[in-house]
Parts: sequence; structure tokens; C-alpha cells
Amino acid sequence: MLLHVFPVTYFEFACRLRFPESVVRRLCRLASFNGAFFIQQAGFVVEDVSTIIKESVEATIGGNAYQHNRVNQWTTSIVEQCLSQLSKLGKPFKYILTCVIMQKNGAGMQTASTCFWDNSTDGSCTVRWENKSVYCIVSVFGLAI
Amino acid sequence: MEEYNSGEEVSFNPDEISVSVKECVEGVIGGTDYNQSKVNQWTASIVEHSLTHLVKQGRAFKYIVNCTIMQKSGAGLHTANSCYWDTATDGSCTVRWENRTMYCVVSVFAVAVAL
Repeated sequence: MLLHVFPVTYFEFACRLRFPESVVRRLCRLASFNGAFFIQQAGFVVEDVSTIIKESVEATIGGNAYQHNRVNQWTTSIVEQCLSQLSKLGKPFKYILTCVIMQKNGAGMQTASTCFWDNSTDGSCTVRWENKSVYCIVSVFGLAI
Repeated sequence: MEEYNSGEEVSFNPDEISVSVKECVEGVIGGTDYNQSKVNQWTASIVEHSLTHLVKQGRAFKYIVNCTIMQKSGAGLHTANSCYWDTATDGSCTVRWENRTMYCVVSVFAVAVAL
């Protein structure tokens, strides 16, 4: 379990444990190499979530044209893949995902969301994707536990 | 002056929510045709009114309300939701409404807050 979450540098953290300086420096290099070895980034990180969604949509729909009998599987597959990737991030969040797939034929569509939550800890991310015959809109809402 | 209801129930009740959301939708777009210049206001108005009704119930929940309005022109539309939460206390409700020229789908998600 990763340690959480005082806004302290790796150097200070290692020093607090009274390691000799050479060890501290080595630990800091190790920590910065690993990224979040000592301190896990808290909060909803939009970029990470956005990347997860884009990869999932590309992998599921990719260059395929709209097909009525497959769209059901696509939406299910996208939300399930995204959700499993998000839960692997291991953050203390509850997640809600929605996915909309629409055929391109000139129809107008408007979507709106509003949320009643804690602005400092919760967040959302919406990704709009399209190809020649399909629009896909995926929204992820993360609510801190 | 309306009073806040500090209810004792902790789990989500989808039937009540469904009724109040339907009334909101009817109130905003009932009897109108799809109008591109107004649809922006309609979706904003539906989500705001629905959220206000939900918050007035005074329960310990965080809410997410999502509204989609689509013109009826033969295009296919498919939506899916997936949620990673506590199934004992959290829940969702989806209301589908249509008239001659448009479809409206409103989803409400309620996530319990640990007090």
C-alpha cells in the first residue's frame, strides 16, 4: 500500500526516516524513476482518465462503420474496459461512466450534465471521438470516497 | 419558503426520482418541436431543475444528472452506463421521453456520502 499524501518531497520524506545521506539520495533517484513510489497522486487526474478512454474507444470501434447489430457490444465493451482500467489505478474513487454512440446522418444531438458533489475532490472527464460514420462520447465521473 | 426534508432513508429510491424527472422534462420541452437554437437551453434547464428537486430532498447523496436530446431523423443512437460503487447504497435511474420530433434521455446517478 502506497503512503499517502503529505505534500512533502521525496528527499524530506527519506530524511525523516534518518537514513544516511547516500541512501537518501539513492532513494530519491529511485523514487523519481518510479514516479509515485512513496507518494501517490491524489485527486481525479483528467489526463490519465482521458488517455484510458481514448485507447479503449480506438480499440473497440477503430475504423469500423456504424452497424446496428454491433453497437450494443461496442458500448458495453467500452464502458467495461474503461472501468477495469480505472479501478486498476487503485484510487479511492467511485466511478460512473456513460458512453453514447451515434450514427452520423445529420441529426442534431445535445447533451448536458450537472453534478452536485465536492468540487475539491471529485471530477469528470468527457472525450468526444469520431470516425467517418460514428460519433462516440464517453463521460467519466469520479467521486471521492 | 420550502423546508428541507432531512430524511432517515439511506438507500436510493428510483421510482420517486423517475416521476420528478419526467415532470421536469414535460415542463421544459413538452409540446415543442426540435429547435436547434433552443436545445442548448433545454438541456441546461432540464438538468438544473432535476438537480434542484433532488437536492431539496435533503438526503446525504452526491448526484450526477445527465440529459441527452436527439432529433428524430432515423439515425441510430445507443447509450451505455457502467458504475463502480457500493451497490447497497448507491443507485441510478434513467428516464426516456419522446415526442414527434425528438428523443430525450435523462440519467440520474446518486452516490451515498459517508458522514
